[in-house]
Amino acid sequence: MSNREKRPAQVLQGTLDLIVLRTLATMGPQHAYQIASRLQQLSGQSLELNQGTLYPALVRLGQYGWVKGTWGKTENNREAKFYELTRAGRAALERETTQWHRMSRLVERLLLEGTEG
Amino acid sequence: MNRHFAGILAKLWDLVAAKRADRDFEREIEVHLAFLEQDYLQQGLTPAEARRRARLALGGIERTRQAQRDERSFLWLTQAGQDLWHAFRSMRRAPGFTVCAVATVALGIGSNTAVFSVVNAVLVRPLGYPDSSRIVQFFLSSSTGSTAGASIPDLRFWLERAESVQDIAAYDFDQSEMGLTSGAPEQVHGIHVTSNYFRLFGAPVLLGRTFIQADSLANGPRVVVLSYRLWRRRFVGDQNIIGKTISLDKESYTVIGVTGKGFNSDPEAQLWIPFQFNLNETDQLHSFEVAARLKAGVTLDQANAQLDAVSQSARRLSELPDPDYRFQLRRLHDAMVGDIRSSLLTLQGAVGLVLLIAYANLANLLLVRAIVRKREFAIRAAIGARAGRIIRQLIVESLLLSFFGCFLGVIAGLAGVHLLLKTIPGGIPRITGTDAAIGLDWRVMAFAVGLSIATGLVFGVLPALQVLREKLVDSLHETGSRHGPGARSKWLHSVTVISEVALSLVLLIGASLLGRTYILLNRVDPGFDSHNLLMMTMSMRGRNVGTDRSLAAMVRDGCQQLNAIPGVNAAAATFSPPFADRMGLPFTSLSATPTISGDSEWIAASPAYFQVLKIPILRGRDFDVHDDSGTSPVVMINQTMAKRYWPQQDALGQQIVIGKGLGPKFEDEPRTIIGVFADAREHDLSDDPQPTLVIPDAQTPSGIIELMSQFGPVWWMVRTNMEPHQFIPAISEKLRSASGGRPVGKVQTMDDLLARSIAKQNFNMLLLSIFAATALLLAAVGVYGVMAYSVAQRTHEVGVRMALGAGRMSVRNMILREGLMKGTLGVIGGVGAAFFLARLLTALLFGVSSHDTAVFVAAPLVLELIVAIATLIPAQRAASLDPASALRFE
Repeated sequence: MSNREKRPAQVLQGTLDLIVLRTLATMGPQHAYQIASRLQQLSGQSLELNQGTLYPALVRLGQYGWVKGTWGKTENNREAKFYELTRAGRAALERETTQWHRMSRLVERLLLEGTEG
Repeated sequence: MNRHFAGILAKLWDLVAAKRADRDFEREIEVHLAFLEQDYLQQGLTPAEARRRARLALGGIERTRQAQRDERSFLWLTQAGQDLWHAFRSMRRAPGFTVCAVATVALGIGSNTAVFSVVNAVLVRPLGYPDSSRIVQFFLSSSTGSTAGASIPDLRFWLERAESVQDIAAYDFDQSEMGLTSGAPEQVHGIHVTSNYFRLFGAPVLLGRTFIQADSLANGPRVVVLSYRLWRRRFVGDQNIIGKTISLDKESYTVIGVTGKGFNSDPEAQLWIPFQFNLNETDQLHSFEVAARLKAGVTLDQANAQLDAVSQSARRLSELPDPDYRFQLRRLHDAMVGDIRSSLLTLQGAVGLVLLIAYANLANLLLVRAIVRKREFAIRAAIGARAGRIIRQLIVESLLLSFFGCFLGVIAGLAGVHLLLKTIPGGIPRITGTDAAIGLDWRVMAFAVGLSIATGLVFGVLPALQVLREKLVDSLHETGSRHGPGARSKWLHSVTVISEVALSLVLLIGASLLGRTYILLNRVDPGFDSHNLLMMTMSMRGRNVGTDRSLAAMVRDGCQQLNAIPGVNAAAATFSPPFADRMGLPFTSLSATPTISGDSEWIAASPAYFQVLKIPILRGRDFDVHDDSGTSPVVMINQTMAKRYWPQQDALGQQIVIGKGLGPKFEDEPRTIIGVFADAREHDLSDDPQPTLVIPDAQTPSGIIELMSQFGPVWWMVRTNMEPHQFIPAISEKLRSASGGRPVGKVQTMDDLLARSIAKQNFNMLLLSIFAATALLLAAVGVYGVMAYSVAQRTHEVGVRMALGAGRMSVRNMILREGLMKGTLGVIGGVGAAFFLARLLTALLFGVSSHDTAVFVAAPLVLELIVAIATLIPAQRAASLDPASALRFE
């Protein structure tokens, strides 16, 4: 029963994780501010994002071994922690993306069936 | 996982690792805020507003911080939970493996914890007295041995001159039985102590006081200190007991004190009575033990060096019996433990071998399992699991297995120890008392948990290393098990099987040597007949030498009454029956030149002593009722004494004086040797008979009778013509009336006493046999497992061989040969190791050499046979394969 409560949160969490992975795959090593800016830029106004929520996601991905954080210098010579995708992270992104597509197709179909039936 | 437990883990995690992560995060968030602020400043906001908006965009610093922190500990916990859950599932998926592994760990850790609990109770745990490591005991040592027995002149000497110790106290060797006759008569255990005793052992005092100097003077007051337990049980915790009198052996004693609850003395006592003697006495009877406390800052070595000087002056003053003797101090703990130390450590070593064998088996099991699971790991690696995560998983699994095994093993092991200890009727110091000390204290717990954690880590890391070494993804391309295990793991299997066989052989040889010792000991003729012989003690304390009739007369009367009971064949009494402590006294021959002198065991017995024990008289005559105070003094000697001191002459008719120069109480007249009796082994079946002499009780000097009455009970010995237990009520009744109302104390059969005398060897043999049986079982399972696995791996190869025309017989022989080859290598190693290790057993052996040929031939054969049987089953299976399906086998 606790599963039922958890599931939606997990889907959301997973979504954010997937987006972060995708961003890092496309843009290369990024620090947290850059990731946040990129997300806002891509989504326009449609994604209301507390930039702080990125951090738990980054911790999670780090623990899975999918991203790795190292301190480095920005172009303006400022200290920042850059996150980059690991090999395992790349594999995970591929797998999770497939999974996501399968899932979203399934949900779509189920929802459609619901309106028709 | 339990929520509460999870909380504790999370906190621990925070403490250990979170500090660094926190600092890292603070820096990171600062950088992030700086970027955001810069954005807002560029949009034209005031610095204050920019800072506010930056924080807003982040969603609040504190909230972010908390969310990040939660995520960190939550993740760690979920992963730990996942690992545990995963471990449970994989254990359930392979029930055969799980049962084998858990049982193996349980056997290994259980048996080791069991033995360690005994070692802990006897050797490791300190004595239950305050600062007990500084309590030392006095010994009289010579080149031939040492004794803890001390005499009054020794005590006086130490009190005057041993300056490096304090609180010097004397106490009885052994508990005396005393008849508590106020109210219902009852035998209680008491010991005599000097006034320092309670201070030395830090005894708490509940009521009243303990002894003072004045209590210890000759003819001092009759006072007694009660133990807490006796006071509670017998006197229902009477708060006003101080000053009341109780009757002990028909004499009145005033209760002056009650000790506190936790105080246990050794020898165990229910009450204490002061020694009352004149320190200037010169009797050399070694009648008590003496202990003391090292003075502050003095080491044992320093104290012994000081005591050497005391020995020197004692030698000058002729206080020492022989120039070879010297005084010595030993730690009380060491003195109490004595020679049991080496036999316990041998057992701990032996059971350590069982653990090694169990580990070899476990290693085999895990190696096989790791190979089977290679694909599983490869898949997990392919879908993104880091190697670290897989290794952690393996370690969690193996820890779980090991904890399960440890839990079961400790429960079974401790239950087993309690069972075993019931089979030994005494003989291990510090265990047989009322506070049987074996159990789970923190040391035993630490030992067991430590073992299981070590096991879990080692056997988790082992297959994990294999995982690391293999290129995991590559193993996905392998077509399963057709290629069989790599050369490396095959080699590992061989090594574990060979070492298992070798280790079990060491144990088997050890157990066989002890087994032969046991058989030989049981075959030893003690020299007397122990069947249908009843032994009953009776305390003779408190006799009034002046007015009571003589002990010999009382004994004669008692024996007459006993002989009147139908079914009683003969009865006798003595202070020194077989297996009891005996005095050793010097004697000098008068009729020989040069004079013959030596030491012998001294027995005073009533007539019919030899008849009751069925010890044959070889030459001369037995003494009888007519050898009393009115006739000329006589003595009988055993064959060993006759041979040793009169090798060329006839001992019969020689005159000897016993106990000359030991003091007035030992003053004796010259005696004529009237008979030589056959040797008997009367202390330990494995010891050679010692020179022994027997004098008639009616001719015993009254001084010695008086001393003996103080220090031990009289033993009534009754030979019956059938099972003796049924006679106990009738005999007790007769003895009570003959002795004027004294109660009978301990009642035992001589068979029991005999069994107790070999209890130690019995116990050692039993334990080592259990270990050896366990080891053999483990080894058999191990060999079978490895061979069965090897056959399963080689199914394809066997198919090919058969297709090429190999017969079933040759296939079977091939597998058998492989198994026996490993077995033989193990046996060679085992014989070599046993050859060296068996020497450690020498002290425990009797009548068999530690390199006994029969054992060293038979045991390896037994082991080869077991290996053959364990190999035969898989060999047969290989031989019965259908070549066609074996070839298709993937």
